[in-house]
Amino acid sequence: MADDPEVESILWDDWHVVAEVSRLVEFGRFETVLLGIKVLLERDASGEITASRAGRDIGCVTLRYGFVWVCLGRPARTIVDFAECLEPDRLTASAGSVRVAVSGLRAVENFLDLSHLAFVHAGYLGEEPHTEIARYNVTLPPEGGVLATGCRVYQPKPSPMESQGFDVDYVYAVLRPYIVVLYKANPVERARKDMIALFVQPATEESCVAHILTCYLPHEVHPPAVRRFQQFIFGQDRPILENQVPKRLPLSPRAETSVRADGSSAAYRRWLGASGVRFGAIPT
Amino acid sequence: MKLDQAPSAGRCYPVARTEELIPRRIAQVQLLGREIALWRSDDGAVHAWENRCPHRGVRLSLGTNTGTELRCRYHGWRFNGDGRCTFIPSHPTQKPASTLRVGIYSTAVHSGLVWVSLDPEIAATTFLVREDPHAVTLRSVFVAAPAAAIAKSLSHGYRISAAPEAAATAVAVFDDLTLAAPAAGRAPGVTFFLQPVDVMRTVIHGLVSPAPDAHERLAVLRHHNTQLSLLRDALERTAAAP
Repeated sequence: MADDPEVESILWDDWHVVAEVSRLVEFGRFETVLLGIKVLLERDASGEITASRAGRDIGCVTLRYGFVWVCLGRPARTIVDFAECLEPDRLTASAGSVRVAVSGLRAVENFLDLSHLAFVHAGYLGEEPHTEIARYNVTLPPEGGVLATGCRVYQPKPSPMESQGFDVDYVYAVLRPYIVVLYKANPVERARKDMIALFVQPATEESCVAHILTCYLPHEVHPPAVRRFQQFIFGQDRPILENQVPKRLPLSPRAETSVRADGSSAAYRRWLGASGVRFGAIPT
Repeated sequence: MKLDQAPSAGRCYPVARTEELIPRRIAQVQLLGREIALWRSDDGAVHAWENRCPHRGVRLSLGTNTGTELRCRYHGWRFNGDGRCTFIPSHPTQKPASTLRVGIYSTAVHSGLVWVSLDPEIAATTFLVREDPHAVTLRSVFVAAPAAAIAKSLSHGYRISAAPEAAATAVAVFDDLTLAAPAAGRAPGVTFFLQPVDVMRTVIHGLVSPAPDAHERLAVLRHHNTQLSLLRDALERTAAAP
């Protein structure tokens, strides 16, 4: 449309989560903001969900993983695929949506960050004196994004089910500029991993909604407890995120000092810059 | 009060009352649009820092004042009194680069107030008024109006006392941010120091000198508090008017 803001195609022509489906089932109608555009979601009596902006229909709306996805432009690619969510014994559940007054890119970076766990999530996902971050591998997959493997941190209470602390192995993958997922060693089935995905909805350049999808193996997992735990954890991140200055993510390596433990974050910033992402960023 | 020194290029500004520097706490203040983390170390030194960790930009005022260092809330990085990073918990055996530091401003304590100079080359030592160690500090008043509007309002009809002989007392302008009224009759003089928070907001700090007698102290404080509140309400009404 003529009044479209000049948002880069890598974001404009991609799918973004804009709501949990359960929210629409409850209220029938829901208004939100995506890439600076007001989007109205409605659910009719037959259960069909439609999206519109300024009274005009948005054709590209679909449901996946319990969330409503919208593409404002022409979809250049499909919604991210999670093979884990198709495994029948998995418990796939939305863990909620949290508004955060900061660029969504800062929220993605925080999700990738290992060294804050002992401070921001002390007693749960980390604790002093276990603050040292061992070397891990960062690669840039040919299909885009950032992959961090071999991450290992000591966690006193790594999940809603655990009461014993242990060293936890992590793999992180940035799949799209605003989508990141982590795989975490399951304490019962060593060969399989629990998965948590963060779908960040870029509302404005300086605000976002973080939608959390959990896909746990079925060992003593209770969805309400999972939801409560994830919201509690995100509630610890939120005040930190909202106190980052500036609110947009600076992509220049000189803007903020990185150390080796920030390898994944530094790679994420470089990849965003090389991919031409500007919305929510301070370009180099 | 008398003029001590003429203002210089490297001017300093009041940012807080000294009582606001609570031991082992960090105050957040603003000056000319810049956010400052203000803290006192156990050795008594006052520090004014850019309120932002150089690592990931989190406000340092969220962190911890250990008595000798500030510790960032996000990743536990520590910075000593010079603003230099001393410890990075994710790499505990490595010495942080000497260039890794927080931006710091120079500070001074004078007349019951903390002063900051944004010019790093010039120490904050230039004061317009002679210090009276017995002076009484007024409650600071935050006003959503530019400093110039407040200076104008203070210099037009501020009453230092309700007594009839003090009715016509004008507030003399030392400079654009420092205004004083001499003692009149039984009313002690008052000096105002304006803290330009940003272009639209100002804090009025005030100092009563000589200190009023103990039995009159409360009445004096009340009088100024009422006067400043009325001035604030009038200015904010004007600012809000279409």
